[in-house]
Amino acid sequence: MGLSELLSTFGQNYLDGLLATWSMTAVSFVLVMVLSVLVTVARVSPFAPLRAVGDLYVQVFRNIPGVALLIIIAYALPYLRVVLDWRTCVISATVLMATAFGSENFMSGINTIGVGQVEAARSLGLSFGQVLRRVVIPQALRSTVLPMTNLLIAVMLTTALGSQVPLSPPELTGVVDYVNSRATGGVLAFLVSAAGYLVTAFVISLVGNRIDRKVRILR
Amino acid sequence: MQSATEKGTPVIELRHVEKHFGDLHVLRDVNLAVGRGEVLVVVGPSGSGKSTMCRTINRLETIDSGEILIEGEPLPQEGRELARMRAELGMVFQQFNLFAHMTVLDNVTLGPRDVLGVPREEAERQAMELLERVGVAEQAHKVPAQLSGGQQQRAAIARSLAMRPKAMMFDEPTSALDPEMINEVLDVMVELAREGMTMVVVTHEMSFARRVADRVVFMADGQIVEEGSPDEFFDHPRSQRARDFLDSIRGH
Repeated sequence: MGLSELLSTFGQNYLDGLLATWSMTAVSFVLVMVLSVLVTVARVSPFAPLRAVGDLYVQVFRNIPGVALLIIIAYALPYLRVVLDWRTCVISATVLMATAFGSENFMSGINTIGVGQVEAARSLGLSFGQVLRRVVIPQALRSTVLPMTNLLIAVMLTTALGSQVPLSPPELTGVVDYVNSRATGGVLAFLVSAAGYLVTAFVISLVGNRIDRKVRILR
Repeated sequence: MQSATEKGTPVIELRHVEKHFGDLHVLRDVNLAVGRGEVLVVVGPSGSGKSTMCRTINRLETIDSGEILIEGEPLPQEGRELARMRAELGMVFQQFNLFAHMTVLDNVTLGPRDVLGVPREEAERQAMELLERVGVAEQAHKVPAQLSGGQQQRAAIARSLAMRPKAMMFDEPTSALDPEMINEVLDVMVELAREGMTMVVVTHEMSFARRVADRVVFMADGQIVEEGSPDEFFDHPRSQRARDFLDSIRGH
């Protein structure tokens, strides 16, 4: 089966797969950013038990393979009467894992902010929350654009976990199974999906670089 | 020289303050009172605890025992009360510590707007006046990294002044500056002293100490070894340690 035949027969499936990948990536990444900030705030809080919980979260979810996490969420949680639909399972696994890495990115962003700036903010009478909101988080966000760009790409690739559960429509990697179970697309069926990931990642890194140049903090 | 007691309740008072960093005894029974409008200059060899003492006054460093009073009230331990007290004390750091992601103007308005609730326009008007006063008004819309060290430190002084503090602490404000920029910062501090600001200045600038200080405190090994008027201290140091220190900085 040649490329043109593959695309004319399954073009719509690939397109649907690409859109499914994009939408899961977008939803996941928004959640990852929000949760990363929360986990990181816990990790820098003055309250030791909260710091411990934040650190534990990162240690646990950074070290579980994505597939294992997905199996737990999709096939073990139902025994605890937690039944999520397949898409939610994939997004949950992706988000839980990526948040650990997102928080690490923020932590390194925070570490680039001199302790002196925090002392200066406290000396002005700003509360802990105000110091975070006005001084620490804005700088951490702006200095982590590039690592977060990488994370966004990683999140997109992680949504390929969706190929392990019966999503409908399947995402980009799942489409390959769909195609190969109906025709002999062979390696070409993979390459079409790979091209979808590649082009998306290229655009993401282009945009990421732009944003980074724009918001980078002069030091 | 007027002693602090002649001026009523001291603005800042330290009583029997002790502090350790692990095994190191960094503050030993420090007693000090700074009266209203007084300029107190703290000198001493590095590692003598003078910066640490300065930083305990707004609790950037905690103390092990003793008392710190601001206008007769004990310094709160933490929380909202401590933040409120800090807002009333200005602090200028060796490394300026301007907020790197904000313009100079935003650096100066942050405290008044977020802590004192001053409306933006009013805060910016006051900030521009202060920046004018310290001579960096033209830099108001730049970010700190675009300013020279001297300009950054003057902007940092304006940021502290914007809170209308009861007293200002300066922790080696010129030690990170290139020599040609030291005077522009000292000039601003001299001006402040003339206007009657209560100041605690930790510095190695002996000519500044001589010219501006109402009282000089000499610290060594975490202790206040001696204190007196600048003339007394520089011309007739009483302790051997002060004499050694003065000899070592005078050189040849």
